[in-house]
This record gives sequence, structure tokens and C-alpha cells, in this order.
Amino acid sequence: MGDFGIKDALSSITSEALLEALAVIVAASLLILVVQKAVPVLAAKLSGKPRLYLLASVPLFRLLVIVLTIIVVVPILVEPSFENMIAIFGALGLALGFAFKDYANSLIAGIVTLYEMPYRPGDWIEVNGRYGEVRSIGTRAAEIVTLDDTVIVIPHSLLWNTLLANGNDGTDNLMCVAEVFLDPNHDVGRMLGLFRDAIFACPLTKTYQPVLVTVAAREAGMCYRLKAYPLEPREQARFISDLTARAAEICGDEGVPMVSYPYLQAQKA
Amino acid sequence: MTDNNQADHPCLPGGLIPLEQWRVPETSVRRTIRTGLRDILDQLKAGIHPDEQAFRSLDDLPTLSERQIQDYAPVPDREELARALLNELEQLRRSGGQSRKASFLVAPPFSGIAEALGASGRRVIAPPDNLLMPERDITGWWDHQLQDDDWVIPELADFWLRHRSGLGLLRELFARLARDKVGEGIIGCSSWCWQFWTQYLPELHLAPLTPSPLSGDRLTNWLGHLAGERSQGPLTARMTQDGLYVLPAPTGDDERKYSLFTRDLATLARGNPGVALAIWRRTLRARPEDEAQQQGEGDAHQEGRQCWVAPLDQLSLPAVPQSSARRSGYLLHALLMHGGLSLGQLELTSGLPGEELRIALSRLERADVVTGDEQEGIFRVQALAYPAVRRYLQSKGYPVDSF
Repeated sequence: MGDFGIKDALSSITSEALLEALAVIVAASLLILVVQKAVPVLAAKLSGKPRLYLLASVPLFRLLVIVLTIIVVVPILVEPSFENMIAIFGALGLALGFAFKDYANSLIAGIVTLYEMPYRPGDWIEVNGRYGEVRSIGTRAAEIVTLDDTVIVIPHSLLWNTLLANGNDGTDNLMCVAEVFLDPNHDVGRMLGLFRDAIFACPLTKTYQPVLVTVAAREAGMCYRLKAYPLEPREQARFISDLTARAAEICGDEGVPMVSYPYLQAQKA
Repeated sequence: MTDNNQADHPCLPGGLIPLEQWRVPETSVRRTIRTGLRDILDQLKAGIHPDEQAFRSLDDLPTLSERQIQDYAPVPDREELARALLNELEQLRRSGGQSRKASFLVAPPFSGIAEALGASGRRVIAPPDNLLMPERDITGWWDHQLQDDDWVIPELADFWLRHRSGLGLLRELFARLARDKVGEGIIGCSSWCWQFWTQYLPELHLAPLTPSPLSGDRLTNWLGHLAGERSQGPLTARMTQDGLYVLPAPTGDDERKYSLFTRDLATLARGNPGVALAIWRRTLRARPEDEAQQQGEGDAHQEGRQCWVAPLDQLSLPAVPQSSARRSGYLLHALLMHGGLSLGQLELTSGLPGEELRIALSRLERADVVTGDEQEGIFRVQALAYPAVRRYLQSKGYPVDSF
């Protein structure tokens, strides 16, 4: 029993069985690869919920293939008796626990991710100050693409002890905020109304979602926040730009100067 | 109430109903699934078949001559519809179903309500030349327009622009309507315009009325009425593939077997008479042996007013050209909300520069989705393309009407 019965369990492995198992693993890997490449391409052509559902299906499909592969491969290599299974998975657990602790941590967090779904492909998340759209969820890590088209790899293990902000949480509704600072001496009620009109006039606005304009007095001036939902989360940068430009145009027409914090700092100096 | 109205006003089947009671005509699960899958496939095929955009028929039967189409499926008589609408509103007023001075009618595009209200014989209030009227002038303008009773606004969508300076006229009118301070009148409003303004003014409650949706049975009766069954005798229309009857409308003791064509057509058109009529006109076919006679301007009446109907599956209706850019969506949404816009107005509402607009518009025109009126310089969505346009906008996340 010194080798936990692994020797006995592995003694029946033949070269044919190894080749057969290898073929199954290669086929499964190819299938996963094809799905991981093809589905996002197809999803990019869709919009709204069909796109999100299609993207979310990729990690689930991969998990399914991996589980099925294990179920198929193990009986090819060893006789699936209770003792053999205990021996194999026990040894595997020990190896993962000592040699690949962090990797195993991420793997398990990856499975938890698929169950709890703190983020899905198509979600816009912020982790440790990095913001972007979840492009794919791998076995060990997720990839996000920032608004500047930079890919960031986030290990799933961060899930255990990191605050994670999800902007749209599996839907295609993502609130965007355009912020402008104005000189305090103006008619606040009128500006609130004009900014609201500007949001409704923007062709990118989802008018059936809430449209809000808030104002707060800050050190830098009157801070107006124009809050609304773009037609698609992917259009958020363009949407915020459009709202900001419309707000700036209104300020110009109304003769209300926009201010910026550096400007105030310079004034004080 | 519905049955009586149908008997009284064959041009307005089902009469007017409160907006909340409007429902999409039902269809089979099979057709719903098929339509949904076809939409997704159309999106996936973006850019693969750029030439297969415009309308085309997939059958090889001869189409009817223009004269026969005018005879079998003419444009509805707007004055008759206007009389029916006024009669219906009067009945509702008498029965206490309409308490406000101004009646508010909401209808989807191509329903013919705007044209009918324009021909109602009442004083028509036309939109001002400058829709971006300064706020200080708006109150005076409406005071002047609404000083006498018995006015009608055929289409409220003509009175605004989706621009921050183009909302004032309707904002003022809705404020007056909410207080019921506008005198006696009738307002027609496109469902897309209404959808925007109910979101802009969520507290607005005007209890609008709307024409009942055309279900399969109502559509059959309406098409029979249009074909002039009372004056010229019944039109017999049968399906090309199985010979089942579409028209004349079935009677109680009828032994003929009828097709489900009008039910499917009513669903495809979402109960919208204008869209249903546009598609109906495209499905009408002549018998092959009649082709020579049609070309020789043969008299349709000699043939006993018979025609054939191609199945909807064999029609390829105009589809919105798929592209990754959003320009088509901006334009189509703006056109539907305003019922039609000039190039300058489109620039204002969509925020797109003129050159980009022309390119996008020409693509939509080639696909038979949009048509431009050269005299007025106004671009509009085609009735035949309306179902595809609505589905397209919905799939892209745009706010769509509830019709």
C-alpha cells in the first residue's frame, strides 16, 4: 500500500490504450479550440441577447467536453474499479495540491465562476482598476479587452479575495455616465432639463431604460452626471463622447462655462 | 362592440379600442420559430449575399397587371375611413367612453389613419416650417392654431425633430393636452412617435385609442371589402400550390376549403392593414393561361374576377442590409419616429454627416427598404419592408413601438 495502489492501477495500461486515450484527448482539444474560435466570430455578428447567450455557452460547452473526455479516457486507461479510482484521483489531488497549488486554485475558481457566474463573456467588468469586456473564460483565467483594445488576462483565483464590479451582469443594459463640471453661477434647473433633452435626442440612447441627470456641488464646480443606457454596451465610449459633446454644446449656447480641476488649481496658484 | 363595429365599418374592422387592449394577432408556433431562426440567419449572413437584398418572388407564375392590382387590391378610400373614424369617435363620446375634448389616436405606420384624418373635412393644423422654433414663440404659435374648435392634426410625428431644440412644440402641446386645454379636435400619432414621447414624459396619460389589429378573419373581410365585393361582385382568390380559397370571405354555410393564408399574413404584418395590403398586392398572381390576355389589356371582369395567391414562403420580402456599422439603424429608427425626413432633417436627428448619410441611404434604397420622394425630398420606410425593419431595429436594441 506504500504506493497507494497506483502501481496496480496503472499496470494494465498498454500502448494501444495510451494511443486511444491520446486520440480522444486530441479530438476533444480540437473540438474545444474550434468552438472557442468560431462561436465568438458568430456572436460578433449578432447583437443583444442572442450574442450574450452564444458567448456564455462557450465555457459551459468546454466544461462539458472536459468532463465527457475524462469519463471516456479513464476507463480506457484503467479498470474503473472503486480502488483504482481512489488511487488515481488521490494521487492527482496530491500532485495538484503540492506542485500546482496556484494553478489548481485557479482551476477550481474557474469552475466556481461557471456556477456562480460573477462574470460571463460579454460582461463589462472592473478588476483591480482594469476595465474591459470579458472576451473569453478559460480554464485558468479570463481574458478581458479594454476600451483601448488591450487584452488583460485575469486569473480566476482573484475571485476569492478581490472586489469585482460588473457593469451589465449578463444583460445588454450598461449604464454610462458622462460627467461635466460647470461654473456654479447658472440656472441649475434649466441646465438639468437641457441635459435631459440632450440624452433623449442622442440616437444611441436606450430611451426605454432610465434617463437621469444629477447635480452636486463640488470643489471643482457644479458636477452634472448624465446617466443613461447605450443601445449596446460595446458603444459605451462613443455614447459617453456623444453625451459629453452635446453637453458642451449646450453649455456654449447657454453661456455657462465648463471648468476643469486643473484649471481651478492653476487659478488658485 | 367589436362585431357591431365590423358590421358598421368594413373599412375599419374591429373599430377603435383603447391602446392597452391591442394585441398582436396570433400565429402558429412553427411560424414563430421559423421567423426567429430566419432573423438570426440573416444576421449571420451579413455581407455574404450583398446582391440578394431587394424584393423578389421565388415562384414563376405571372404577376397581375397594374390595372388588375388596382382593381383587386386598391388603395383604401381615405374619405370612407375618415367617416368611419369620426362616426366611431362620436359613438364613443356619446357612450361616455371618451371624456377628453381632444381625441388621441395612435396607430402604427401605414395604417392609413393620418391620410384619413387629413381628408376628414376638419381644419387641418399643419406643422410650422421651422420645427426648431425658439421656446418663446411656441406658446403663441399653439395659441393661434388652437383658437377654434374642430381641428385635426393628422400626424403628430410631423411636429418634432429628435434634436434638443426640436422637442419644444410637442412638449407644449402635450402639456396642454394633459390639462385638456386644447379645445375639440382629433390628433393622429404614429406609434413610434408615441413610444418616444411616453418615455420622455412618463407621467403622460391621454387614454389614446387605436384601430383594432387585423386578425386573419378581419383581414379576409377587409380585403374582400377593398376588392369591391359589394359593388363589383366577389373576387375569388385561391392559393397557387393547393387551390385552397382565400377570398371571398367564408360564409356560414360555405363548403369550400379555406387556406390559413390571411392568418399568416395578419401575423406577418402584425395586424397592420397598410403592410398587409402591400404584401397582399405582391402575392397576387394570374393564371398562366391568362398571361397573354393581361398583356393585351384584357378585361378582368370577363374572367369573373379571379386570381391566384402565391404562398408567403415563396416571397422574399425586402431585408435590411446587414453591416457591422450602426448607420442603417440610426436612419431607419429616425425615419420611423418622424414618419419620413428630408436629408437635412436626417442630418440633425442622426448626427451623421451628409456624405455618410447619402451612402447609407442609397444602400437602403437599393434594397427597397427606403424610398425617396424626389419632389418633396422626403425619405420614408417602404411598407413592404416594414416587418423586416421593425425586427432589425428590435434585434439591435432600438426602442420599438408596441404594435
